[in-house]
Amino acid sequence: MKSKTKTVISLNNISKVYKGPPPVKAVDKISLDIKEGDLVSIVGQSGSGKSTLLNMIGLLDSTTEGDIEIEGQDISTLSDDELSKFRGEKIGFIFQSFFLLPGLTAQENVAEGLLYQGIKREERLKRAAKVLEEVGLVERLGHLPKELSGGEQQRVAIARALVQNPAFVLADEPTGNLDKKSGDNILKILKDLNKQGKTVIMITHNLDHAKKFKKVVKLVDGKIVA
Amino acid sequence: MKQKLKIVDLFMVALYGVKARRGRATLTSIGIGIGIAAIVAVTGISASGRADLLATLESLGTNLIKASPQAGFFGTQEKLPDGVLGMVERIGPVQEVTSTTQTDLLVRRTDFISEFEGGGISTVVTSPELLDVVGGNLSEGRFIKSGLGDIPVTVLGSVTASRLGITSLAQPTRILIENEWFGVIGILDELKIHPDLDRSVFIGYGVAKTLFNIDEEPTTIYVRSNPTYIEDVVEVLAPSMNPENPDQVSVSRPSDALEAQEAAEVAFTNLLLGLGSVALLVGGVAIANVMIMSVLERRMEIGVRRSIGATRKEIRYQFLLESILLSGVGGLVGVLLGAGITLGYTKYTNIVFSIPLLQVLGAILLALLIGALSGVYPAIKASKIQPAEAVRK
Repeated sequence: MKSKTKTVISLNNISKVYKGPPPVKAVDKISLDIKEGDLVSIVGQSGSGKSTLLNMIGLLDSTTEGDIEIEGQDISTLSDDELSKFRGEKIGFIFQSFFLLPGLTAQENVAEGLLYQGIKREERLKRAAKVLEEVGLVERLGHLPKELSGGEQQRVAIARALVQNPAFVLADEPTGNLDKKSGDNILKILKDLNKQGKTVIMITHNLDHAKKFKKVVKLVDGKIVA
Repeated sequence: MKQKLKIVDLFMVALYGVKARRGRATLTSIGIGIGIAAIVAVTGISASGRADLLATLESLGTNLIKASPQAGFFGTQEKLPDGVLGMVERIGPVQEVTSTTQTDLLVRRTDFISEFEGGGISTVVTSPELLDVVGGNLSEGRFIKSGLGDIPVTVLGSVTASRLGITSLAQPTRILIENEWFGVIGILDELKIHPDLDRSVFIGYGVAKTLFNIDEEPTTIYVRSNPTYIEDVVEVLAPSMNPENPDQVSVSRPSDALEAQEAAEVAFTNLLLGLGSVALLVGGVAIANVMIMSVLERRMEIGVRRSIGATRKEIRYQFLLESILLSGVGGLVGVLLGAGITLGYTKYTNIVFSIPLLQVLGAILLALLIGALSGVYPAIKASKIQPAEAVRK
């Protein structure tokens, strides 16, 4: 049994200010430790800084103040290229609007997740098929996104995030565009991933979903209130 | 940091960008296509023209010199001194010499035609060597060889034959020179560098003397020289022919006229090349414009690619290559179109088809270069988009 006490993500007094005018402090001096295998949900109203916080954790955005350490690495020391590679290898992103490439099939979309890892196309497609099977889309490999339902598209997007076998899965309102049944299904997939040992952080408006997560972070005006 | 995206994958990604917007890609590359087609067609047609000219010059030879007396002060034709042929023959590099005598004998198809309707055809008295020296060919019949010069037979230049309506010698054919009937025994091919001879009829010196009392007094001398010394021969020809008044002799090389004509066409070619370049420039701007639009529309794609590990450089290369592909496709189509136009033109005008490979390669490279230049700004713009901004809802 793995120890689950190791801190893998450590936020130390981080802030994000959008210059404006007027300047907006989207995230205000947040400190937070996330342990390996944590299942975290971030809740809060629109404009409370959830997405900004998640983007900073996912290295898509820089902090204005404060440090982030991921797996003991101070990420402020990494170059832009190193950050890209770090994202590619360690972090799987899931977006509310799926963000699939419309001209590629489900399998090709998932294989794109390995594109920047220096893996050959056949191997990428092979691994993509395997992950699509895991999310229950084995019969949809050759379908274009427009031929899939919303829930199926989101599962393709999840497969794309998982194909590189990331340590962290970050999801920004992954069920926001889905009906209840599809949303519950996505939630189940995320919980299963967590059971397999992945650290999962999810933004949600859905308090029912949030309650099912071990740790709930509530933001108001860029600050953690619970 | 080492780039992990393989070249072949980069190519596929860029190709995806082009293929996903086929209609737009087609429209965008039209400008480049037209520009390259214009450039290839213009250079191809001009190269074909030049190849044809060279072939013509090759067959005619550039070592032919023509000398005639300067027109006199009152427009009268001066005569060349007696024994001028002998003087010319003594110039070392001269290989062949012949002469003709221009007359004002009236040429008519039949006696039903009024004497006042000559039609600009001149009668030229010639010796048998003329055809060989000027490098002419017969399209039909034979030339006035020795023995035929004393009897009333004539050979027609190509333009003369068509003006008189004589296309075939299958039937015995006669024409009227002054008031004497001459049997037509031959028709010449077009001489190209001797338009004056194309518009002439030829008769022998013997018959000219007996029927029209015309003496053998050359008005034009044709000289074939050793090609190496052609300039020297041109220089000494006038003083040799008329040592007292060399400035009364006009010396020319008929091939010069063709080359001058070609030079005039070069100016026109340059103008068309200029227009082609403008089309390319406009095409390049169109590509840059569409690429910028594309970058704005595809923020989501850029965001996703950044989130799955693409570096700025990899994004930059993707959009740069996409722009190069757009332009390259246009260039390729342009080359084919330009080659087609050239082929059509050469078939239509019946000249040698020639497209310089170097220029075709140059055209394609030019298209790629324009694509690259047009893509630089959009590519940099794409790579500067912050990942967080790109995935914002």
